[in-house]
Amino acid sequence: MNITIIAETSGNQLHSVTSQLAGAAGSLGGTITLLCPGGVGESEASKISGVSKVVSLKGDCFSSFDSGAWSAAMTPHCEGVVIASSSPTGRELASQIASKLGVPVVQDLTEIGQDLKMTRSIYSGKAIETSTASGSCVITLRQNSFESAGSDGNAELITVDSTSEVSVAVKEAMAKAGERLDVSEADIIISGGRGMGDPANFSHLNEVADVIGAAVGASRAAVDSWDEIPHSMQVGQTGKTVNPSLYIAVGISGAIQHLAGMRSSKYIVAINKDPDAPIFGVADYGIVATWEEALPSLKEELAKL
Amino acid sequence: MPFEALDFYNVDSLLTDEERMVRDMVRDFVDNEVLPKIEHACRDGVFPDEWRVTLGEMGVLGAPLKGYGCPGLSYTAYGVICRELERGDSGLRSFASVQGSLAMYPIWDFGSEEQKNYYLPKMASGEWIGCFGLTEPDYGSNPGDMITRAEDMGDHYLLNGAKMWITNGSIAKVAVVWAKLDGVIRGFIVEDGDEGFSAPEMKGKHSLKASVTSELVFQDCKIPKDRILPGVKGLRGPFSCLNNARYGISWGAIGAAQACFDSAKEYSLSRIQFDHPIASYQLVQNKLSWMLREITKAQLLAYHLSQKKDAGNWIPEHISLAKMNNVDIALEIARVARDIHGANGILDEYPVMRHMANLESVKTYEGTHDIHNLILGRHITGIQSFTRHLS
Amino acid sequence: MTIAVLLKQVPDTTAKIAVSEGRVDQGSVSKWSTSPYDEYALEYALQLKESGAGDLVAITCGPSRSSKMLTDAAAVGVDSMLHVEADTSEMDSKQIQSILAAAIKHCGADVVLCGKQAADTNSGSTGPGVASLIGAACVGMVSEVSMDGDGFSALRGSPSGNERVVVSKPCLFAFDKAATELRRPNVKGIMMAKKKVIEKVSPGDLGVDIGESGIKIHAHDSPPEKPPGQKFEGAESVPTVVAKLREEANVI
Ligand SMILES: Cc1cc2nc3c(=O)[nH]c(=O)nc-3n(C[C@H](O)[C@H](O)[C@H](O)COP(=O)(O)OP(=O)(O)OC[C@H]3O[C@@H](n4cnc5c(N)ncnc54)[C@H](O)[C@@H]3O)c2cc1C
Ligand SMILES: Cc1cc2nc3c(=O)[nH]c(=O)nc-3n(C[C@H](O)[C@H](O)[C@H](O)COP(=O)(O)OP(=O)(O)OC[C@H]3O[C@@H](n4cnc5c(N)ncnc54)[C@H](O)[C@@H]3O)c2cc1C
Repeated sequence: MNITIIAETSGNQLHSVTSQLAGAAGSLGGTITLLCPGGVGESEASKISGVSKVVSLKGDCFSSFDSGAWSAAMTPHCEGVVIASSSPTGRELASQIASKLGVPVVQDLTEIGQDLKMTRSIYSGKAIETSTASGSCVITLRQNSFESAGSDGNAELITVDSTSEVSVAVKEAMAKAGERLDVSEADIIISGGRGMGDPANFSHLNEVADVIGAAVGASRAAVDSWDEIPHSMQVGQTGKTVNPSLYIAVGISGAIQHLAGMRSSKYIVAINKDPDAPIFGVADYGIVATWEEALPSLKEELAKL
Repeated sequence: MPFEALDFYNVDSLLTDEERMVRDMVRDFVDNEVLPKIEHACRDGVFPDEWRVTLGEMGVLGAPLKGYGCPGLSYTAYGVICRELERGDSGLRSFASVQGSLAMYPIWDFGSEEQKNYYLPKMASGEWIGCFGLTEPDYGSNPGDMITRAEDMGDHYLLNGAKMWITNGSIAKVAVVWAKLDGVIRGFIVEDGDEGFSAPEMKGKHSLKASVTSELVFQDCKIPKDRILPGVKGLRGPFSCLNNARYGISWGAIGAAQACFDSAKEYSLSRIQFDHPIASYQLVQNKLSWMLREITKAQLLAYHLSQKKDAGNWIPEHISLAKMNNVDIALEIARVARDIHGANGILDEYPVMRHMANLESVKTYEGTHDIHNLILGRHITGIQSFTRHLS
Repeated sequence: MTIAVLLKQVPDTTAKIAVSEGRVDQGSVSKWSTSPYDEYALEYALQLKESGAGDLVAITCGPSRSSKMLTDAAAVGVDSMLHVEADTSEMDSKQIQSILAAAIKHCGADVVLCGKQAADTNSGSTGPGVASLIGAACVGMVSEVSMDGDGFSALRGSPSGNERVVVSKPCLFAFDKAATELRRPNVKGIMMAKKKVIEKVSPGDLGVDIGESGIKIHAHDSPPEKPPGQKFEGAESVPTVVAKLREEANVI
């Protein structure tokens, strides 16, 4: 079986999820080709274990994201099962490539089994779907759901000049306000809700986050009530779906739409003053206390480690 | 989460698609714009002006009236609107009842073509608020003996007297005032700013706190000749307005009752006493099942009345029965719901005490509970018992 | 110019999802709603229409119950509605995209707005796939769009923040959560919606042969029950919880 991986990039670097894609591909068995759009991270990519060929696609069309142009340049190099990350750009590329190949796409898999048995969550985590493809297909994989491949590979590196027509022109790029890690990238997330009382109190979450290298997230009530809390921090149904090892919910009641975005976290800690808050229903460790009491102690304890 | 109203017999499935869409629209408004603000409005004793604007934008004011910029909905839709508004607060529903049924309706039914064209579009859009002046300090249940008088001065009318308990009075641009001209009750349109007219607000209410209630004072109030409503003489004028408003109240009260039931149900399921949720005790279940029973009956009553109203085969006594019954059970449900909430029931974190206090007014205005009893008594026996000559 | 907005009816985000006989039990869904991201697309499509960009058609492909969603869309101001009646529950991405692409062509639309993903399948395949089929420029993660000369200017999320991009038609915008919520209808709109007729067609009427699904769904299952968590009273328990995170959970 041939497998083609679409490398996920982050700025001028290879995104770490690319290794997870390779890890998952490795478990399927087959010849793995990795496509690096714009040549980004090509040398790092060639060291990922199990990859036999890296195709570095160079061309002006890769200077900014245009899924139409990128997929047009990449599709001719896609063979067999195509695997991408289920990031927003990954999904967009995957479905464009699938459409150009004339095959179906299945997004956001959390497991792949024998004979490409695919597992994904649907209805925002309220059900699980398992399926198989009758022919070839494009799939995207959820970050942090698959083991990374090693970094002792030595793949052949081929550089290809690509041209394709760009139709989405970037006029202006507005960087995110903070330097803070994005919730979709983080392995530990601490999120605040309306119970934080005031956006200024998110500084207490930031302090804890700094101690453990966590990202800071928020509930929709926090995002909607306070301009200082941007939508990019929102976790849930209409925000980001996250899958960290540890999710700490502070002053969040645990509405079903919030759970939709975080219930698949490996471990959940809830800090809430209301012992009946639904968030305790999904928490592995619940602390019934106000954040004012709990956060200073949490920071102190974590700093000791 | 959108409100899931108790509807045990799925009576709402009898509504048309259009009526259901209107319901969802108003419910959304109440969830998102009324409930987050209502306790504040009550504490401050104000009717938030943005509600007027949104009611106008939604196009629900004067719901069943046709033409002149009015919505032209069914009476059923009007009932549904009242129910959804009153699920938020009776004060909000009062605003809409007064505007539509008591101020716009008499102009629509009894006004001249000019009056209709001039007033109705601006009242339907919410730009102009209306009020209805019938009750006087000394004449409540017995408006027929009112004192307020109009005098024909040749090129204008002169109004003298006072009205009391007038919803929207101080915020109204347009007051429909009932006064005697040569001993006959007639309707007059008084505008904010007319010479000799003032509308001081009445303060200190423990009920309908988010609704403005005022006196209307006329001291040699001069109004132009074209402000009399040409189409009606006698008590039939104000009473036909009241029929429509009372009809709306018979639906509205269900909304308040649904809100109280919902709160009582949620509370009783989560409140633990003697190791178990209080909802698990028979006495509490008895209360909840009684509420469900009464709300379901009230819904069927209101729905059937709406069909009669839309078909035009109704009599005022039908409306009296529905107003009286539905407000009565809503008030009783609010009281029982308050009881189920224990001490928490007196807090403004829960809607029950507010609904309870509001419904006390609703029981009194638009014909007190007992006046409707007397109306039905007269209907049954043919003998009026409102008054008698005491020797 | 014609603008199309693609809408999908999904179980309301508050609805319970039950599984019976290996499939999500659609019959037990208590409430159906327009998928949340589609509502943002609809709001901005209405804004485009109001700024003079063209007529607006709402398109859905789904079972007959989805018609209600189109009537709701008419009440807020879409000009016409197309309902491709089909059961999409076992269709793969390719099948559904080919139907929608044909529907868009049928309406003559050259600007398409949709949600970035539907709240049932949670996939996010439809917009980009359809863009590819109709040869339209694709902009994803959009939170704002407006006319800009002959083309359109949009704000889209990027890994490092936001980007303002410009495209010309044909183009497709897949919406993320946006600043403006879908407007509420008013009585006038509701009365008008009653008069608008929904055009109902089958995939065959549009000349589409969707063939067989390339994906075979084996089963839907309820997610595994999580073992009950441990609950601690008071901030005094923080050291205990931190110790457990380290020793039991091994996550810090
Ligand atoms: C279509 C749709 C999509 C949605 N999408 C999302 C989404 O993506 N993400 C999302 O989060 N929500 C979403 N929601 C909203 C969701 O329904 C809830 O309204 C929201 O999650 C509530 O946020 P919250 O928990 O911060 O606030 P609340 O529900 O108000 O909870 C605040 C909590 O803080 C606690 N608290 C208060 N003070 C303190 C204190 N001092 N210390 C500790 N605890 C305290 C309280 O006990 C309470 O439990 C969506 C809703 C809809 C209808
Ligand atoms: C908040 C609020 C808003 C209002 N808004 C308006 C408005 O916008 N416009 C307007 O014109 N009016 C309005 N009213 C006035 C309302 O219509 C009157 O209060 C009502 O008609 C009762 O009149 P009353 O208060 O004078 O009571 P009364 O008539 O004095 O009655 C007192 C009690 O005596 C009973 N009673 C009276 N007559 C008899 C009888 N014959 N037999 C047995 N029992 C009898 C009554 O049932 C009642 O229990 C409002 C009232 C309130 C509280």
